[in-house]
Amino acid sequence: MKPQTVLERAENRFGWQLVAPSLGVIGLLILYPILYNVYLSFFDVQLVGDNVFVGLENYQRLLTDSAFYDSLTTTAIYLLGTVAGTTLLGLGAALLLNQDFPGRNVVRGLILLPYFAPVISVVFGWQFIFDPVNGVYNYMVVEVFNLTDERMNVIRDPDLGVIVVIVFDIWKHFPIAYLLILSKLQSINTDLYEAAAIDGHGPWGRFWHVTLPELYFVLGTIVILRFIWNLNKFEEVFLLAPNVQTLPIFTYYTAFTGVIDQGLAASVSVIQFVLLCGLIWFYVKKVLKW
Amino acid sequence: MRLKTLLCGAAAGVALMATSAAGAQSIELWTTETQSDRIATIQLLVDTFMALNPSVTVEVVAVDENDVPTQIAAAAAAGTLPNLINAGSELMVAFGEEGILDQAAATEMVDRVGRDRFFAGALNMHRNPETGEFYALPFHGWIQGIWYRGDWFDEAGLEPPNTWENIRAAAEYFHDPAENQYGILIGNMADSFAEQVFTQFAISNGGRQFDADGNLVFNSEEIREALEFYVDLAEYAPPGPQTWRARDYYIQGRMAMFFYSTFIMDDLALAEIAASSLTAENFAELAGGSFDPELVEHTRMVPIISNAQDAGYGVVVSMGIVDSDDQAETEAAQQLLSFLYEPDSYITWLHMAPGGMNPVLRDIAANDDYMADPRGIFARYGTDSIQEIIAGLEAIQTFSLVDGQLFPASGEIFARQIIPQMIFRATWEDVPVDEAVAWAEAQMLGVIGE
Repeated sequence: MKPQTVLERAENRFGWQLVAPSLGVIGLLILYPILYNVYLSFFDVQLVGDNVFVGLENYQRLLTDSAFYDSLTTTAIYLLGTVAGTTLLGLGAALLLNQDFPGRNVVRGLILLPYFAPVISVVFGWQFIFDPVNGVYNYMVVEVFNLTDERMNVIRDPDLGVIVVIVFDIWKHFPIAYLLILSKLQSINTDLYEAAAIDGHGPWGRFWHVTLPELYFVLGTIVILRFIWNLNKFEEVFLLAPNVQTLPIFTYYTAFTGVIDQGLAASVSVIQFVLLCGLIWFYVKKVLKW
Repeated sequence: MRLKTLLCGAAAGVALMATSAAGAQSIELWTTETQSDRIATIQLLVDTFMALNPSVTVEVVAVDENDVPTQIAAAAAAGTLPNLINAGSELMVAFGEEGILDQAAATEMVDRVGRDRFFAGALNMHRNPETGEFYALPFHGWIQGIWYRGDWFDEAGLEPPNTWENIRAAAEYFHDPAENQYGILIGNMADSFAEQVFTQFAISNGGRQFDADGNLVFNSEEIREALEFYVDLAEYAPPGPQTWRARDYYIQGRMAMFFYSTFIMDDLALAEIAASSLTAENFAELAGGSFDPELVEHTRMVPIISNAQDAGYGVVVSMGIVDSDDQAETEAAQQLLSFLYEPDSYITWLHMAPGGMNPVLRDIAANDDYMADPRGIFARYGTDSIQEIIAGLEAIQTFSLVDGQLFPASGEIFARQIIPQMIFRATWEDVPVDEAVAWAEAQMLGVIGE
């Protein structure tokens, strides 16, 4: 390494001074909570009094707890359902609205509404739709179409609730997928479609050989973003169907209800964090090939 | 230059602190009254107090009753506890055991209000068995019962739902899901309502958490039978996990019985007032909606359930003073409490929910101003039934009281919502009753062992 001149050293120092505030803020607001959470996961946390170091006991208890595996399964179902659902519906909507038809601009705007609507008001609306006695869902299923003669409390049922939560998430978030895909669709060079047509490809071939490869990275970005968001998603699931225990909800119940066990909850968060980091690394390397 | 600025800043800071110390003492009151009209009344009382005591500023924070343990735990960890907590006595005992409450200050307040003025039963629910001090002050109370359609029962020739057999028979009779009609509402979401309803059944079967020697005896035949019965009874409830909000189905005429506190007296009477304006005459689109304008008259209540023994359940809501290093804060909190126990402010508070908030002070129960509530709800139900409810408060049984002795660990168990989780598991997660009860007892042991 070449010895630095006085000027270079001064410049280096100045550079560090410039980034120091940002580093400080990041350290305080991001690194510290993460590290503190990892630290807590090795303790039996006492609300009043001193924490007791227990080593890996929290992790051992977690890995032998069937409720944790149930929560992992629920999370997997939720993630697969919502990520696939929002991406496919967003893609479909974008392809449709990329065609020219009268009133297209109005539809393009309207389709964004679910994404903009405040979570809490929409959640109350959905809860009312699925109310077992007065809701329109049971009215349609039981009284109008006679699909079944038993009214169900779909939203609060621990098994069925996850389906409602998935449908809700798809409905609420497909507009963001649609928006990203549509903007990419509009920038695809029409020459490519002409060239494909000359090569003898029909609409399906053009979609497969032009549209999809062009959308590859946009779709990849959507999938990873939705994945990160939904693995950490709390408010929608908790407000809509508190009996659906994805990992963040499971963490909340462990940390703040029943036998309040914040050490155990911290270890759930650590596992969730590691899982997320691992999946993102794999995805970025293999799918996005960055 | 820099030094000068720093000095000026420091001087200004010290001056500001001095004024705030001499000027306003600021305290925080957490209450489980979350309805906006009740918060408005509490705010009015607090504003009056602040006008009379300009040196104290009070902030009122409403917290949902199911979130109180969580919020207190978080606040304790963060060092941001309020100065006064207004919540159920079981929670208060738990907080006292956790070392959050200033029991000496509470005991002093009991004497300041007048120890003889309190009903003995309500006071005993707050007495620390080890020190004889009080965890908190009883403030008001309600009792629970089965509210039912007396007219339907008469028509069907059914007995009032006062025993397990009568309850089950009536629930079965009125349950007709094909017609969207249901037998009974019991709580089986994992929340306090579930525990309150279940406790009455468990105690009516002789079930206990602790025996007189303080041994945990929850995993017993009595509790297993009660849970078995409870899970079966859920068959006659509206679909899926339910909580107190489903009382609306009763008001709609879709349900025959529901468990509820005496708070419903207010709601039913108000529903009656609302009904007189909610008619097809005023709202054409309501033509199909059914509302029984005589619902109040048709509604009856059974406060005691019997099986192996009689059981009445209720909750006393208390005022707890949070332990603070700052003596001035504690004094300000006591000052506010003194004000709230004065007859005028106390009666104003109780009138927020006539029937639901019943006095724990003897002289107030007999006070004419108290009996003359502004909305005339007491007049509608009659003086006798109100006095009966107040008397019922003295006879309530909970898991924490055994033969008049308080077991504080029971409050801790309540705060951890172990029984609601047990009910949820047994009802919705197909966990066999034996296993669910054994699980609950293991969890309770964990709480006691801490």
